[in-house]
Formats: sequence, C-alpha cells, structure tokens
Amino acid sequence: MFTTDTTATDIELDLDAALNPGEVEGLYRDSRECAYLALLAGGGALLLSPPTPRPKKG
Amino acid sequence: MDQKHASSPLAGAVHDLATEVVLALRSGDHLATVCGAAGIDEENRTGIAAVRVIGADLLLPSVLYGRHPHPGDVAVLDRAVREFPPKPDAPAATAWSHWHMISTLQRMAPPAPGAAAPGTYAEPDAAWLEEAPWQAFTHQLSVLAPLAVPAAPSAVQRAAANRAVDLSRGFVRAVRRRDWLQAAGAGRWLAATGGEPATLGLDRGLDFVELMGGHDPRVTLHVRAARLMAEARAR
Repeated sequence: MFTTDTTATDIELDLDAALNPGEVEGLYRDSRECAYLALLAGGGALLLSPPTPRPKKG
Repeated sequence: MDQKHASSPLAGAVHDLATEVVLALRSGDHLATVCGAAGIDEENRTGIAAVRVIGADLLLPSVLYGRHPHPGDVAVLDRAVREFPPKPDAPAATAWSHWHMISTLQRMAPPAPGAAAPGTYAEPDAAWLEEAPWQAFTHQLSVLAPLAVPAAPSAVQRAAANRAVDLSRGFVRAVRRRDWLQAAGAGRWLAATGGEPATLGLDRGLDFVELMGGHDPRVTLHVRAARLMAEARAR
C-alpha cells in the first residue's frame, strides 16, 4: 500500500488530465516578442509573417 | 519544485522529473539515475504517476546517447507501465504512450531470461491520425512527442512523416498561439522525421520556442531532444 498525502482518486484524475491535455487558449504574440524573433531570425519567414486576417463579425 | 507553486502534487513531480531529464540530456551523464535525482522511487505513487506522464522520455538520455539506462530508472518505468495501464475507454493517445513505454522497455532493457516481462499488445489504432485536421493532428502529435525518437518505428511516426507540411503548419500555429509545449513537441517530430519546408526555419523557431517557453522543463526537454536528433541526422 502506498502512503502519500494525496488520494488515489486525486492522482488518477490529475493523471488523466495530464495524459490528455486540451489545447491551451491561444495568446498571440506582442510586438516585443516579434522583435526577439526578428533578432533570432535567419530563416523563419513563416514565423515572421503577420497573423492571418480574420473575418469580421456581423 | 516547490510544491506550493505547482497546480497539483503531480504537476510538481512532473516538473521535477522533466528537469532531471533535461539535465541528463545536457550532460550526457548516463550513470546518473533520473528518478533518483528527482526523489522518485517505486513506492512513491505520485512519482510513479509523474513517470507515466513523462513516459518513455524517462529513458531518453540513454536512447539518444546510445547507452544503457540506469536499472533504477528502468524499474520505475516498468512500475509505471504496470501501475497505470490505459483504461478500456482511454483516448488513443493514452494507449499509444503506454504502448511506447512498453516498446522502449523491451528495446532498451529486455528482461532477463525467466523474468516476467510487461504485458505486450499490438500497436493501437492510428487511422484517426490520418484523418484528423492539421490543427488537431499537431496537438495530438505533440502529446505523443515521446514517440519521436530514432529507430522506434510506429504508425504514429509514419503519420508524422507523411504529414510533415501539416505538422509544419501546426508548429507555426502553436508559436503564434504561444503554446510553447505544443510547438516544442511539433518541432521535435519535425526534427525526428524531417521533410519540413526549408522556409519554416525550424532551427530558429526552436530557439524562439525555448527562449519564450523554456521556463517549462517539458518544453526544454523536447527542444533539446530535437536538437540532438537534428545533429545526429546532420552527421
């Protein structure tokens, strides 16, 4: 028998979540991060391209 | 890791374990026990669960440097395989990561004659990967990044190789969304299988991912694995 301060159910719930994580909600880069990337870029044309235009609502 | 800063004891243990794998990858020190350094033994259920999360990457330093794994790490990985088998209704990714742990154990540490081997089963289904939209494909491949290692063929690896352009799109999408873990996993697959467009700039992209997401040792783990595999391919 294992002795921990966490119940088996807690661990198994946490484990299921860790094994099958959903996608995190997207957070898009700000200009400061783009500047970092520009300094790093030798290739990476795709990474530096502007965000894809999105259709406007309404 | 200071547990009070982790979202759960399991998250803290995963963080500590991934940190030790990264240290072993950086040093190439095959004699050190990763689990021992992370304070995990076979009687620590949270630690064993953390090993189940890290999966076969526990032995990644030995896999990439071509050395024998530490017996203590083999024992804990074997314990995680037995302790946390996939449930009958488990998602395919869970079945695949479990399959890969068994496969890695058999490849890296075959049981001694007469010893009980972990239960084996056939490769889980991978047809769903071929049909998945590129966004979901990249997400699932990132979850399965431990399968992105040399000389470990699987249906998942074949799907990754066949959809390198989709995976490249997914890598860019993950970077734009600041999902560093997904980006690192996708980049690791591209480094393992090749075939990405030259315009992707994978090397620089991985630098950026590590710069921005390196506070998470799992990100660093995947980036370091990608670099080691890319270096091996270039030789």
